Amino acid sequence: MTTRFAKTTLSTAVLAGALAFGGAATAQTYPDRPVGMIVTFGPGGGSDVMGRTMARLMEESLGVSIPVSNVGGASGNAGLTQLRTNPADGYTIGTLISLTVASWASGLGDNKPEDFEVISVIQSSPSFLFVPANSPHQTAEALFEFAKANPGAITVATSGYGTQDDVTLKLLADAGVTMENVPFQAPAERYASPIGGHTSAIYEEPGDVGQFIKGGQLIPVVVFSDKRHPEFPDVPTSAELGIDISGLDNYRSLAVSAGTPPEIVAKLAEAVATATASDDWKEFCSSTYTCITPVTGDAAQAMVRDFRALIAEQLAN
Amino acid sequence: MAALELLGGGFLAAFEIWAFLTIVTGLLVGVVAGALPGISFVNAMAMALPFTYVMEPTQSMLFLGGIYVGGVFGGSISAILINVPGTPASLPATWDGYPMTKRGEAKRALTIAVTASATGGLVSALMLAFLSAPFATFALKFSQPEFFAATLLGLVSVIAIAKDQPIVTMVSLLLGIAVGTVGIDPLYGQARFSFGVPEMESGIRFVVVMIGLFAIGEVVDLLATDRDLRPKKTGGKAIGAKLADILGVKGAIARGTGIGCLIGMIPGAGATPGAVIAYGIEKQVSKRGDEFGTGIDEALAAPEAAKNATTGAAMIPLLTLGIPGSAATAIMLAAMMLHGVNPGPLLFIMDPTMVYTIFAAMIIANVLMIGAGIGVAQMFAFLMRTPPAILAAFIIVLSVVGAYGVRNNIFDVYACLAFGVLGWGMKRVGFPSAPLVLGVILGPLAERYFLTSMANSHQDWTVFFTRPISGTIMAMALIFMLWSLAPAIRRLIRHIRS
Repeated sequence: MTTRFAKTTLSTAVLAGALAFGGAATAQTYPDRPVGMIVTFGPGGGSDVMGRTMARLMEESLGVSIPVSNVGGASGNAGLTQLRTNPADGYTIGTLISLTVASWASGLGDNKPEDFEVISVIQSSPSFLFVPANSPHQTAEALFEFAKANPGAITVATSGYGTQDDVTLKLLADAGVTMENVPFQAPAERYASPIGGHTSAIYEEPGDVGQFIKGGQLIPVVVFSDKRHPEFPDVPTSAELGIDISGLDNYRSLAVSAGTPPEIVAKLAEAVATATASDDWKEFCSSTYTCITPVTGDAAQAMVRDFRALIAEQLAN
Repeated sequence: MAALELLGGGFLAAFEIWAFLTIVTGLLVGVVAGALPGISFVNAMAMALPFTYVMEPTQSMLFLGGIYVGGVFGGSISAILINVPGTPASLPATWDGYPMTKRGEAKRALTIAVTASATGGLVSALMLAFLSAPFATFALKFSQPEFFAATLLGLVSVIAIAKDQPIVTMVSLLLGIAVGTVGIDPLYGQARFSFGVPEMESGIRFVVVMIGLFAIGEVVDLLATDRDLRPKKTGGKAIGAKLADILGVKGAIARGTGIGCLIGMIPGAGATPGAVIAYGIEKQVSKRGDEFGTGIDEALAAPEAAKNATTGAAMIPLLTLGIPGSAATAIMLAAMMLHGVNPGPLLFIMDPTMVYTIFAAMIIANVLMIGAGIGVAQMFAFLMRTPPAILAAFIIVLSVVGAYGVRNNIFDVYACLAFGVLGWGMKRVGFPSAPLVLGVILGPLAERYFLTSMANSHQDWTVFFTRPISGTIMAMALIFMLWSLAPAIRRLIRHIRS
């Protein structure tokens, strides 16, 4: 008995020592092999383009290759589950976006804000309501007036129930502007529906419909933010129209599993900061209307936590 | 004829040495990737996306376009030779192409398939070049009720495809639809049939089901029955296709091409429904409809023409409206956005050279495909001369890698193996597995089109019948269903009388 106990203790101690030592060595020499980037959505979307651009830029400063894998499904939760269950050694990073955080609030998946360490929030954009070029309601006032007089007659293409889109429409309805939520799962179909005249408006961030804005097919009428968007100075905020809706911006961040050694997180944060300061990145974020000053550390963590709480509170109402 | 002049310029640009090599490389990558089970042309294009960073915008589109055209055909090589569709759209090619291989007519089957595919693709590329603008407006008339009606037509086609056993086919199809509901529902975010397993929340991908049922199921059966996979010798040399064979199926190719061009333009549809609907319609139209499934030329040619005819058509909404019609064109959209090119009406004014070079490249790629297709098929035919046990090992490894590659998740490998066992069992008892796969593919599509249509029409279901295009397709689906069930109904009436 005693010998076996001693053996177990000894091997545990050795193991623990090895782990501690290994951990220290890993942090110092990190990264000494390729770092995997999990994009939590399929190829071609906003997260994918962000993940791939970031991987390319971070490769330069980290000095190792960053292969990207798309692990889509369940509003991004499938990929995050993989990120969470991989070793917290900084060799797997993933994309974490507001849509996924909102999905936690509606009870999807078993991921929590404290399961992840946000390296940096690097993109963010408020959402707008856009109407097609031939819409009879060319301004937000006209659109809202019509919706007030004819509750539910205005249909809005959104990304689904239980999302920021849904919360925004619920808040508008509380203020008397009742519009019908028409959820589209496929983004392409969502964009096509107002342009084809099948829905009256669309709730979207400008970066995703940039080509339609530039082509004059979609007209922004109102922004859900506390201030006007610098790229669209003529578009009023909802607060200016008497309905204050803000804090529901779409943001995208990079994260690692919680418990990753702080030195490694710091190294990653530095690589992200170098990448976001590059001209390549600036060109990319301005073309998608998503440039922000990156948010890091506790502030980034709080951003995710508070967003989840905000959506949960709104959905409970 | 400004269009003709611009297209001429496009051809000049596409025949420049680097551009031309890019098209050829893309084409070969596509055919090989398409032929490998589990790696569809969509996966191949996604994998190729990072390589396009270093290219010029036009060159990146030529590369992706080549992969698209080659990949859509490539799936039929493995479908015809080893009964494993390399991509979902090649499913119908297993029904009549593989029986031809078993008769020792592999070469003939491949020649018919590649000719039909190239013809469909070429017509569709020409349509893209000359009719983009008017068709774009037409495509926008389609909304969710029309998508639902088209998907329903696809589901009905599955029953039409069944050989004398509509009941088992429907059971298999419904089983597939049930498998398709697993996971988080598309609109409300509710988990269904996930049994608390997090991986199940992401649903069961049809690719995984398809690889399991066909590739693994087929291989297990092959090993269990100790069959010889090598094509039987037919009097010394393999039977090739004669010109008369090709001319004999020109009607089928024309019908398939027409269906493919129409289906391809509908955003969201794509190659698989196109091929399946073409097969179903051809079965009804052909004099030899009853023999379909035993290796009939028309039955192979029509869906082959249809699936490649969706390629050019799917690029019409992409280039003219900036709306990708399928997963493949969504990747092309991403590539354009990465290069700061915004597709849409403005592109035709701002950069006509680029647009017409893409048009020319699509035409060239379809012509070159005949050579590329036959070349890669030779490689595959060589593979088939290896002993079945070794070949089986290769297929299983490729299948497992393919299942894992779907979204880099080990759960998919387990699911694939489970479906492999199911597929083997179904094969043993003669229960059709193809309807199950089509149920998994089309069921979730039908569901979300239905739900979005209902949300957009204040939950009024008559919307599917009152909208002109949707109503027409619904009527077609109904007629199609009665038509295909007619023999069974007649039998039933006779049975009741006697």
